[in-house]
Order: sequence, then C-alpha cells, then structure tokens
Amino acid sequence: MTAAGRGDATIAARGFQRYEGPRSGVAGAIRSVTWQSVRSTLGLGRPARHKVFPIAAVAIAYVPAIVFVGLAVLLPEDIIDPNDVASYSDYYGFITLAIVLFAALVAPEVLVSDRRNGMLAMYLSTPLSRRTYLAAKALAVAIALGLVTLGPPLLVLIGYTVDGSGPDGLGSWLLNLGRVVVAAVAVSAALTSVSMAASSLTDRRAFASIGIVLVLFTSPALAEALINGGGLSPYWRVIDLFAMPFELVARIYGDPGGYPELEWWAVLLANVVWTALGLAVVAWRYSRLVIAR
Amino acid sequence: MEFSSTRALDSLDLSVPPGVTGLVGANGAGKTTLISLLLGLLRPTAGELSVLGLDPGRQGPELRARIGYGPERNVFPDDLRAYDFVRHLAEVKGLPRDEARSRASDSLYLVGLGEERFRALGTMSTGQRQRVKLAQAIAADPRLIVLDEPTDGLDPVQRDEMLNIIVQVHRDFGIDVMLSSHVLEEVERVCDHVVALDEGRLVAQGAMDELAGASGGVELELVETADRPGAVDRVAARLRDAGLNVQHNGVVLTIGGRDDDELFDLACVAVAGAGARLRRLGQRRRSLDDLFAGGEPDAPLDAAGAVMSGTRPEHR
Repeated sequence: MTAAGRGDATIAARGFQRYEGPRSGVAGAIRSVTWQSVRSTLGLGRPARHKVFPIAAVAIAYVPAIVFVGLAVLLPEDIIDPNDVASYSDYYGFITLAIVLFAALVAPEVLVSDRRNGMLAMYLSTPLSRRTYLAAKALAVAIALGLVTLGPPLLVLIGYTVDGSGPDGLGSWLLNLGRVVVAAVAVSAALTSVSMAASSLTDRRAFASIGIVLVLFTSPALAEALINGGGLSPYWRVIDLFAMPFELVARIYGDPGGYPELEWWAVLLANVVWTALGLAVVAWRYSRLVIAR
Repeated sequence: MEFSSTRALDSLDLSVPPGVTGLVGANGAGKTTLISLLLGLLRPTAGELSVLGLDPGRQGPELRARIGYGPERNVFPDDLRAYDFVRHLAEVKGLPRDEARSRASDSLYLVGLGEERFRALGTMSTGQRQRVKLAQAIAADPRLIVLDEPTDGLDPVQRDEMLNIIVQVHRDFGIDVMLSSHVLEEVERVCDHVVALDEGRLVAQGAMDELAGASGGVELELVETADRPGAVDRVAARLRDAGLNVQHNGVVLTIGGRDDDELFDLACVAVAGAGARLRRLGQRRRSLDDLFAGGEPDAPLDAAGAVMSGTRPEHR
C-alpha cells in the first residue's frame, strides 16, 4: 500500500461564491418557467396525490392508441385493416373527453396556483414581465396538452409505420405527420386559450376547472338551441367551443367532419377567433391584476 | 407615483449609495411602492429613476436579473422543497442549470438551512421561510438584494440571526442590500444608510451615523427606590441649579448645555449629592425613533441635511 498522491490532495470548501458566468436572459427564464410548470402539472417532484389525475388522463388518452397499434400488430391485415378501425381524425373522437378533462386540470394548475401561492410575485421580480410570464405559461399549457393531443396520434402513426400498415411512401408519410402535428397544435391552441381565460378569472382552481368544463359543454347546447330551436343560420355553430377544434382536425385530415354545412374557412376562422379572444381575456385580466408582494 | 385614487409617493428625490440601506416608514408609507418602482414593476407617473445604472422602466428584465428580491408575503408553494424553490428561481434569473443547483445548496447553507434544504416549504416555520426567501434572493448572485420586511414574524433570537446573515451577505460577498422595515432599532443596528418615508414623502435620507448616534449631551438613568423617595427629582434640581438644560422623562434625565466631559462630572456629583442610585450613564444617542418624533429642539437635525416630519413608525 502506498501513499502516492496524498500530498496533492486538497479539501475543496466551495461555499457561497460570486458568479461571473453567462446568464440566459428572458429566453432562459421563459424556458425554465415553462418546464417547471409542465413538471408541476404532471405532478413531477410533488407528492403522489398530485400525480394521480394527470397520469389517469394521459393514460386514458393513450389507451385507444395502444389498442389500435396492438390490433395492427397482432391481427393479420386480411382479417382487419388497421386503417378501417379508425382514421387519424376519428381518433380524437375516442379521446375527446380525456383531452377536455386534462385541459380543465392543466390551466388552473398552471395559472391559478401561481396567484395563490405567491409565485407570480416572485416570477415578476425576475427578468420576466407579465407578458413574457404569460407566454411561458401558455407554452406550458400547450405542451402539457400536447401530451394528449399529439402523443397518441403520433404513437398510432409510428405504430402503423413499424407494422407496415402506415401511409405508403415517404411523401404520404410526411403529409400524415404534418397533419398529426398541425391538428394537435390547433386543438392545443384553442383549448389552451379557452382554459387559460377561464383560469384567469378566478383564484380558485376548482372553480376554474368547473368553468372550463361548463363553457366547453354548454356551448354546443347553446349552438344547437340557436340553430334548431331559433332557426338561425347553421354558421352559428361556430360558437360551439367544444366542437370547433375537433371539426378543424377533421378538415385538416381532409374529412367532411361533423358539420359539413360549414365551409372550411369558417371553421378555421372560428378557431382563430376563439383562440385570440381567450388570450385577449388573459392579457386583459393580467394587465389589471394587483399583485400582492 | 400616482394610482387612480392615491398618490403613493410624492416629490421623492433620493440617491442611495452602496452598502446596507434601510427603507423605513410606517405601514402605508410607500415602501413597497418604492420597491416596485426600483424593480421596474411599476412606472412612475412622473420623474426619473436609475437603479444600478439602468432605467427600471425600459430595462426592467435586465435590471431584475441583477437584483434579488425577498417579498414581504410569506406565501409559498407548500409542496415544493426549499432546494427546488431556490434552484428554480436561480434558473429563472438566468443561471445555467448546474450552477443553479450548486448555488441553491450553497445559499441555503449560508442562511443556515443546509440540513433542511430538502424539506417541503409547507412544513417550515416562519423563521425558516424567511431564510428561504433570503436564500432565493442571493442564489443568483445579484448585485443588489431588496428585502421587504425580512424579519417580519420572527422572534428576537431569529431576528438577530437574520440580521447577522444580511450583514454577512454584504460584508463577505459585496452584495448591496436594501431592506424595508418598520422596526427602527433593527435598521439602526445593521444599516449604513437610511431612507425614511412617511405618507409617500421622503422625510429623511442619509448615512446612519449622521441621522442617528451620539448627538451631544449626556443621559443618565436612575433607580427609584422606596428608601430614597424623590431622588430623581433631587438630581434633576441639582443639575438645573448647576445651569444645565435638563429633560426629565421618568427615571431618565437628559442633560446638555456644556461640554460632554463636564456634563459627566456634574452628573456624577449631582447623583452622589442627592443620594440617588445610578443605573446607566452615557452619551446621549439620537435614534431613528427620535427623528420620526420630530427631533429635539436643542439638537437640530442639520448633520444630514434631513427634513423631518410626519408620524412615527412602530418601534418594538
């Protein structure tokens, strides 16, 4: 046994020191808040009770995709053609409820919690402004929703592709990939906006969640009453906040959708307007918010 | 600074040098509004503001990256661990992830929460939460930390410890500190400079040793005992007979009108002659409390060029 190297050993008592290195600025702040918000939404780094609902909602959204891919892999194509089970646009019909419930969970968690637990005041004492803070939060909600709007169709596409049942040819495959991504972004954007708007109006998470569900579930009834009961134009369907995002998904995939009487541009415009309106409500609400320090 | 129905700050003209600065004033004096202006979270209705050479209104994000802030509120995400809270805010202030991790631990150790750093914030005491607020303020290595009532809710021992850490942060790491408080004695204890506000107006600013401290004259505190009734009055009478200015406040006598050395001698002679018992004899000191009370007629506050007025904040 030798004592070689002992003379070179030092005890590094680092302790608190000055930091002279680079700083990531506003972009880094947005990135960090976004990531922390996504983690918080999914219950990561939090006690187990915070993980239950997000895991359940995500699992429900993925179950159909796993079943479809499983059928494609396990059953020969001459018995069942996977593409006959459900088209990509039809897939959303299986997970609509999971998406809506997840949206009703995510935005209140992301927005309301910060106002109640003092984090909003803390964030606004950093390089973030109200506008950049909201950008980070909107990004977080959209990313979290992307787990249930993008992930499952993407899993189906990849599963079918691996199984050899997927779109034929690179061009067709890329077109499908593009549709999957654009459809997911469209649904996420609309639900992000609506759910953030509802969450900006109350300081209670439960009220915000209930508000989101109520808005999404009562607007179809209102549209139905106006069109069928009131005899108004079928274009009043654009006030149906529940149907419009998924109607847009159908149009993105080239399907007629549930309301073929509506032109594609009306569906697109309805989604753009609802998204912009929701974000405007959030921006207005936060511009007037008095922040306790 | 004017809100729709209230003028929160008015005619404020001040310059704060490096060091530990106390921002004092009663509740509602405008301290938090001033802090919000310094951080660029509010814009002044009129006037100009420069902090660390930056304009908070136009360069708020850049400025806030250099400032650590500890708010008055003690509300935190209860299920977040102290370490995660400090690390996350250090990252938001621009530190790389690895650096934020190590500095979160370092700063929590510095404030005495090294062993407690993985505890959830919701399980921590008020004193520990105040320390966490300080840790997150210093973790990103700011040039200035602004602490809003950092000793609020602390017992005397905890308050002493917190003030010692604040002084250490400035002394050992060169981080300038502005702390707001309505407790004047703690500001006197740790601050190099003072900015005093009352109802939105500046009532005093300057170096602590100019605004408070030895102020000329001698103060003696006597003991009133049953076997020597009227001793305090007799001492006061003897001092007046010697031609001194005497202020009589309970068992405390404040004397002036001569050189301090002579006052000490005369005080000792008067106490001995009156057969009184002496508890304390020392130079008269002016406190921030005196400044808020309006000062003494025979001790004008011209040392710092300060103009004093208004109500007095709480002294505890």
